[in-house]
Amino acid sequence: MSPARGNKYMTASPATRVLGVVAVAAALLMALLGLIVSPADVVQGQAVRMLYLHVPSIWIAYGAFVLTAVSSALFLIRSRRREDSGRHHDRLAGAAAEVGVVFAGITLVTGMLWGRVTWGTYWQWDARLTTTVLLFVTYLGYLALRRLPADPMIRGRRSAVMALISIINVPIVHFSVDWWRTLHQKASLSVGRRPEITGEMYWTLLYSTLAVTIVASWLIVHRYRVIRLEELRDEEALNALIASRLREDE
Amino acid sequence: MSEVATVATGWGVTFVIVTTYALWVVGRGKAIGRELGIGEQEELDLGSDSSTSANS
Amino acid sequence: MDLSPRHDIGEPGELRRKVHRGRRWAVLGITAVLIGAGAFVTAQGLRNATLFFRNVDEAVEQRVELGDRRFRLQGRVIPSSVRSESGVTTFQIVHDCAVASVRHVADPPELFSAPWIPVVLEGGWMFGQVRTFAGTDTHYFLSDRMLVKHTNEYASVNEQRVSEKAPDGFLDDCPFEVPAAKS
Repeated sequence: MSPARGNKYMTASPATRVLGVVAVAAALLMALLGLIVSPADVVQGQAVRMLYLHVPSIWIAYGAFVLTAVSSALFLIRSRRREDSGRHHDRLAGAAAEVGVVFAGITLVTGMLWGRVTWGTYWQWDARLTTTVLLFVTYLGYLALRRLPADPMIRGRRSAVMALISIINVPIVHFSVDWWRTLHQKASLSVGRRPEITGEMYWTLLYSTLAVTIVASWLIVHRYRVIRLEELRDEEALNALIASRLREDE
Repeated sequence: MSEVATVATGWGVTFVIVTTYALWVVGRGKAIGRELGIGEQEELDLGSDSSTSANS
Repeated sequence: MDLSPRHDIGEPGELRRKVHRGRRWAVLGITAVLIGAGAFVTAQGLRNATLFFRNVDEAVEQRVELGDRRFRLQGRVIPSSVRSESGVTTFQIVHDCAVASVRHVADPPELFSAPWIPVVLEGGWMFGQVRTFAGTDTHYFLSDRMLVKHTNEYASVNEQRVSEKAPDGFLDDCPFEVPAAKS
């Protein structure tokens, strides 16, 4: 193997460099719209600006966890026939779950700060907050499970099963505000229902969701590639170990 | 905490979390790549198996 | 690093397990902590989630069985009823045409000043004759904690002014009138 050369950004490719530039520009425009251009709310005042972080973050977390579940199902189906195809889905599941956990964490932090100025408290054990923190802890557990040393295929199967169980909590979190009485308000936007948000605030929220999606996509692609590099390193280490043992045996 | 301070904290914390995570991911890729002694992973494509692209 | 027994060399999975034994215990420990955290969260959720608050009409109906128990009460604040004196805020809240008089003994959150804002109060029923917009009542609600339950409606401060009017249809079927707040 050749020595390291030009490895400035090991996980980058021309496409992801473009995606990275777009993500940074999108995030800056999101900050401009969310913090300066969009108006204050008639009741909440400036605190409404937390909406543009909090809501897109949980949507991205939901999306990432759904991607984890779909990839896990594909892993279970395809790895029976082709190991390489299965491992691709396993990596995608792991990368998406980690990014999902980051955005679920952001949802919790921004929600707590927003709650302090609107509700008057950082935290209450109502159904929405409780199920959201449970979602966060469950996927932390999923990430811990992925780190348990095991044969990659066995570890992949265990993780896939856990991902398919964990996804059950996503609709529970989302509909908790309809199923139970909560301090948390109902969904800001719902399919088939007239939005309760007016003009610039509505468009800023939609744009923020797009911007956060681009950032999350960049993160998932890079994390995927890092997982692949980790696998390569593990295999290299194992091969070196086996080779040295064989040399000793000779 | 006032409304403005809360908003500043929320946006600040979010940007710090995302930037730190992004830098950690890039840095980890860089460190493992250096360990493996391989160059830029232009050829790392999402669909192929790791064992087929260990070269650089 | 212990790599024995040597016949394991042919089984990479087994070798990997041995190499990472220490790490496995660390991850198992973290997993155990996470499972514990999950159980705690679930327990908290089951205790609170199903009945986080009672609406005013339900709390009035269940007054006898509630007795002096502490619970959470939810309703919209009637703007014209709010009075504040020496750290005590008194006001009336309404839900489904049932009105409760409230005596709140702590600082209300900032958004409390918004007209017709829904609030969740922690406290209990106290015996005492009070007058409300719906008539006289034998009890009032003594509260020491207030949470503002803001809605999912957002409107630009440039386009809409804070309305003193009750939300559309909120008091339509009620047999009493609520006077407008003095501005």
